[in-house]
Amino acid sequence: MKRIALKGGKELETKVKSKALDTFKEAAETIVNPELKKWMDRGGKVTGYFCCYAPEEIITAAGMVPMRVRATGSTSTELADAYLSSINCSFCRHAFNMGLKGEYDFLEAVVWLNNCDHIRRIYDNWRRKVGTPLAHMMSLPKLTGDKQVAWWREELVIFKEALEKHLGVTITDDKLRKAIKTHNETRRLLRQLYDLRKKANPPITGAETLATVIASTAMPREQYNKMLAELLNELKGAEGIKGYKFRLMLVTSIMDDPKLIKIIEDLGGLVVTDSACFGSRPFWVDVDEKVKDPLDALARYAIQQKPACPRMFLGFPQRSEYIQNMIKEFKVDGIIALRMVFCDLWAGELFMMEKDLQKAKIPVLHMDREYLMAGTSGQVRTRVQAFMESIGGK
Amino acid sequence: MTARSLTDKCCQKLIEERDMLGMMVEAFTKTSTGTNLHLVPTKAFVEHHNEILKRYISGEPHITSYFCCAPEIYTAMDLPWNTFLTPAFTGAIMPGYHEMIDASGKMFRGMDLCTIIRLAAYIVEEDLVPPPTAVVAMIHPCDGINVVHQTMAKNEKWSKIPVFGADPPYWADERSYNYYADELKKMVAFLEKHTGIKMNTNRLREVIKESNKQIALWQEYNDLRRAVPCPHGGGMGLEVFGEAMTVHCGMPIGTKWLKDVIADAEALVKQKKGAVPKERIRLLWFDVLSLGLTMGLFPWLEQEWGAVIVMEMFGYSPYTQIDTSSEDSMFRGMAVRALHEVPMIRQARGVADLFLTDIERIVIDHKVDCVIYPGYMGHKDGSANVGLMREKCRELGVPFLYIGMDLFDDRYTTLDELKDKISKFFVAMGLGNK
Repeated sequence: MKRIALKGGKELETKVKSKALDTFKEAAETIVNPELKKWMDRGGKVTGYFCCYAPEEIITAAGMVPMRVRATGSTSTELADAYLSSINCSFCRHAFNMGLKGEYDFLEAVVWLNNCDHIRRIYDNWRRKVGTPLAHMMSLPKLTGDKQVAWWREELVIFKEALEKHLGVTITDDKLRKAIKTHNETRRLLRQLYDLRKKANPPITGAETLATVIASTAMPREQYNKMLAELLNELKGAEGIKGYKFRLMLVTSIMDDPKLIKIIEDLGGLVVTDSACFGSRPFWVDVDEKVKDPLDALARYAIQQKPACPRMFLGFPQRSEYIQNMIKEFKVDGIIALRMVFCDLWAGELFMMEKDLQKAKIPVLHMDREYLMAGTSGQVRTRVQAFMESIGGK
Repeated sequence: MTARSLTDKCCQKLIEERDMLGMMVEAFTKTSTGTNLHLVPTKAFVEHHNEILKRYISGEPHITSYFCCAPEIYTAMDLPWNTFLTPAFTGAIMPGYHEMIDASGKMFRGMDLCTIIRLAAYIVEEDLVPPPTAVVAMIHPCDGINVVHQTMAKNEKWSKIPVFGADPPYWADERSYNYYADELKKMVAFLEKHTGIKMNTNRLREVIKESNKQIALWQEYNDLRRAVPCPHGGGMGLEVFGEAMTVHCGMPIGTKWLKDVIADAEALVKQKKGAVPKERIRLLWFDVLSLGLTMGLFPWLEQEWGAVIVMEMFGYSPYTQIDTSSEDSMFRGMAVRALHEVPMIRQARGVADLFLTDIERIVIDHKVDCVIYPGYMGHKDGSANVGLMREKCRELGVPFLYIGMDLFDDRYTTLDELKDKISKFFVAMGLGNK
């Protein structure tokens, strides 16, 4: 592996001037982005969700925009702190605080899963304290057998019927198939974007890619697909990014702050891929469009096909293999593993992952973080710098 | 199988713990004038440890499992089970406990992961627990327990041990019970395959009938604890739970002991004698208990404040009787028990409502003066209910205290800090003046 001597910081960014990318960046920095606002101004409805296992396709088929709940722009948790405690994940505290402040009042419905101890309790608090017209919880299995696929299919039916009843609509199989096609199109386009990052000189940074992925969870989907296709066209012939020192991979749960990646990249570590919730995991595999029953297809996708979350029991070997494949495909020099403080699932996951990475001799930096980076950017910079020096000094 | 011996590293911790418990048994035997209610449960743990060690040496089957994974099945299969979560619960009486906690923190690069889980993962990593024939994992009610079984399966030595986890639905309805009953049947098939022991349905029926008796006695005992003054102190609830759902689950010896406990409580109620000479505060401690608490904080509460823990999370679960008329009815009943009745799983596994309804039920039934939610650092889901619990208590007109502590590490919030916080709370709420 060619090593480049560490020099002072240099801002890495795409050479392309793209309207689509600017729109995505704006979507990542706001909760209600202009495209979503236009949709709502036309009378369109929005359903929030808290985890990438949520069946976005059913929401789309119901004629709504699925939007992943973030806490972008939140600065405090004073209202949420009356209900939650200091050992609860800061993302949950900020997101619930925004709910209590009315910043998510535009949502027609919110759907939760029992994905982790923190988020599942936001459902309990939210449904009592925030006036979202429909608050729905789904029971996601922890195993991945055919029995679990059948259980999840039933949960999908219950959710579909709840939306139908609430909205007074019928979600037909044809509508579901169309929604699956639309969402698969997003997945296909995002994978194309990641393919460009495999190049020695990728045309887009990790921070810009994260903004693009975030926008996919916050915009009317067909509109998003058109803009992403435009961006891909612009990037295809574009000059690549040069002068970076290392190719890094991010492994994390919820991380929706492009500024954090920018800090890493400004130090010369280009983030070229990830295993993240706001990253590759939700789009690395398509929902099978050939399956006759669309709900069967969605159920099997979530339980058996999509790259899994650490909450799926005994799935670590597959999750580790996913990371190892990424390392090879994207020629990764080192891994930055981020864990939200108080996240038990990721404490275990990173403990196991480090064992495998050690065997594979892949350098890894394990950083615990709070949802807001405020006041910690200096620490992040110092740790990443030291990490990159350690890779360089190998 | 390679030759195994009691000098193996993996046996030492269990031997240490057994010997410590053995000293307690000796002390109870020598000092007791009448029936010492602590004797049977403590002795049972000594015998349990001996059995696990014996089976490890001989290679006879034994498993790792938990009280909430239908232990009636293990009793029916004559399959001793050990849980590697024990070190946190007994830590207060063991030497080198703090050092072990710190080492587990280093292993996970931080101390915010539940201490029980950290320690359990640590003892597996450090080869401080005898590896079982098979593991029946618990994958609910919290993220931590899911984590520890995954790290265990990743451990080189333990990775060769077969693991089964019953998939827990989030709901408490017929659909979920049937789903989980099927999971329990799979569990039996798994155990039969890996231990070579066959389940006998008639034997299971007998065990469940005995367990039903224990549950009925447990309920009777809980009713006796409604008396003012409360006949026993806080630690007894945990011991009753331990007998009925762990070491003597479905065994006549456990039933006999429960009868003794009831007889003792009944006599005290008749004499209007309480756990303390003058009961001034009736407390609900809404969480897990540890030996450290029962030896440190609870005696202080009783002596200093006349405050008696009349109920805690493990002491009063609304168990139902299992219908033993058919195999299906037994598995359905065990599924209901495992998902919806066993303490902690019942509250923490699904939606938060049971935290609130259980508090309400206990406060009313047991004439509770105040509720303490200790806010154990490992119970992230419970700590996200703290506002809802406070509101419930306000509605019931009982003061509520949320502490924020580590039930298993007395350095997190020290005993002095606990005493200070609780004293200030009692004073501020005008409690303890009766």
